[in-house]
Amino acid sequence: MSAQGILMEPTSNSSKSGAAADTGLISVVVPVVERADDLLAVYHAFAKELGARPEDHEFLFVFDGRFTPPPELMALAVENPGIRVLRFARSFGETAALRLGIEKSRGDLVITIPAYFQVQPEGIKLLLDAVSGGADMVVASRSPRLDSWLNRVQSRAFQSIVGGVSEQRFHDMACGVRVMRRSVAEALPLYGDLHRFIPALALREGFRVEEVSIPQHPSDARTRVYRPGIYLRRLLDIATFFFLAKFTEKPLRFFGLVGSLFMGMGAVLSLVLLIQRVEGQGIANRPALLLAVLFMALGVQLVGLGLVGEIIVHLRAPHRRAYRVRERV
Amino acid sequence: MSSALVTAPGSVPTLSVIAPLFNEVQNVRPLVAWILQALEPYAGTFEIILVDDGSRDGTWNEVLAAAADNRVHGLRLGANVGQTAAMMAGFDNARGEVIVSLDGDLQNDPRDIPALVAKLDEGYDLVCGWRQRRQDKLLLRKVPSWLANRLIRRLTGVPIRDNGCSLKAYRRDLLNRISLYAEQHRFIPALSASVGARITEMPVRHHARRFGESKYGISRTLKVLVDLITLKMITTFRSRPLLGFGLAALPPLVVAAIFGALWLFSLTHFGPIKATALVFPGAGLLTLGVAFYLIMLGLVAEVALNSERGDANDIPNAWEVR
Repeated sequence: MSAQGILMEPTSNSSKSGAAADTGLISVVVPVVERADDLLAVYHAFAKELGARPEDHEFLFVFDGRFTPPPELMALAVENPGIRVLRFARSFGETAALRLGIEKSRGDLVITIPAYFQVQPEGIKLLLDAVSGGADMVVASRSPRLDSWLNRVQSRAFQSIVGGVSEQRFHDMACGVRVMRRSVAEALPLYGDLHRFIPALALREGFRVEEVSIPQHPSDARTRVYRPGIYLRRLLDIATFFFLAKFTEKPLRFFGLVGSLFMGMGAVLSLVLLIQRVEGQGIANRPALLLAVLFMALGVQLVGLGLVGEIIVHLRAPHRRAYRVRERV
Repeated sequence: MSSALVTAPGSVPTLSVIAPLFNEVQNVRPLVAWILQALEPYAGTFEIILVDDGSRDGTWNEVLAAAADNRVHGLRLGANVGQTAAMMAGFDNARGEVIVSLDGDLQNDPRDIPALVAKLDEGYDLVCGWRQRRQDKLLLRKVPSWLANRLIRRLTGVPIRDNGCSLKAYRRDLLNRISLYAEQHRFIPALSASVGARITEMPVRHHARRFGESKYGISRTLKVLVDLITLKMITTFRSRPLLGFGLAALPPLVVAAIFGALWLFSLTHFGPIKATALVFPGAGLLTLGVAFYLIMLGLVAEVALNSERGDANDIPNAWEVR
């Protein structure tokens, strides 16, 4: 009953990109961030799969600032208009790269793949079939996995935390291989580092999301251990997503809860002090009084923040709808 | 978003009846039949908008079947977004000058609709149904509801006795002025009053649930309490948040003054003792900090308000007296 969507701006509903969607075209967006293997090999493998289909295809490589397009790719792009190469002047991350790719793409269907082999390219067929079957977005789930147990534990931990918020359980949200309709791609509220939650975001926007198992590619199976800072960022990402999913429409429910917890602690402590004072023990020299006041001050501040949040939500309400109409008769 | 539905042959209807449905597969058919029958004597043209709020039990198929009648329209939402958003979907797509909402579970009686509409025409913007002889569980539904209604009445000063009844009639103008979100459908009367609507209530019939299950539980009581704080804030201080936060800053200021006085008192009476010299001024400064913080928050709210201003919706509702 309380599944509230992440709010969508009504304007994002209409196709805002200048280029009209081409119904016979599949756009493949390849964000080149973090890791780039042999891009030409990735291109050829997926182009071969898509070449077997009746639709045309285009590839958009979006290079984050840290990466330079390899000359072989540029040479190929010069002779093949179906390859487009975009580049950020500095590093903006995967979410920004995906957004840029989606905006510049022209196809009716948008495929995202990472800049290395994450799944066996043959599997892309299965995703496209599922979209033809009526799904709005189909995400790949790497299965069977060839990873080391460490990767799997990390991945499992991430999925289980996120799974608690999302209505539908996804087994592999970190997988970057997805197929979506243009309308979905344009409606996704993508910013910050939210690309990790794309299936859950689409679901909250009211789209039909399906998951298809594709065998993992051996080159994806290296053990990944990140710096502690990366794990901290992931946790913050999850916290952001959790907050957005649960409380965008009612911030006071969150801040009010935490705030009243603090106020409660402060009140109990003050009550104890008051009783002791009445019994004759002085309070002027007791730091416990400071603690009680501090707790209550914190509580009031949190509730105040929640109220400001509510005012902002209220002011935005006329421009926003929490629902998406899927069908009408 | 408010593009009209595909126009059925004939003119634009004057009355739109909206029913949000969530997993009500058995109720759709009788509901539509009942509404059609109840509106038989209605003089104008009408439409029924069934909003399927992401049901998982085949409700949509029933809606499709019902839509064979060209006065019946269906909207299928992509996900289950809750009653408020589902009602908004209906409101946004309704074409009538008068709009009536009712529950999709047959607990409201469509035979009350003509009376509600007639009442609206006496010069009201909102007519709320007031359920007589409510057919719900006493402890789980009626007692919390009674308490909530009293609280809302006290807090907002809007004398409506049954805020939770879905059977209501609205004038289109009013709905253009209020935007509902989260779970605000309970607060429609209070929100309407805050934009200057003329509101009344009238007794309506209420029936026990025949099919399906109730989608409410007692867990919402706490949520309603928190939402009430928001409601008070929004209805009273919407256009002057700094005043609200300034008022909230007064108690901390008073407390800070008390701590200050205690500090002076202990200084003059007991002399400067080390521990004493810290606790009272410390507590005083903390509370003073809270007061300042609240005022600053009020300023932030003013900034937010200022950047969103300029909607025609800001002008309160008014009508020409003569």
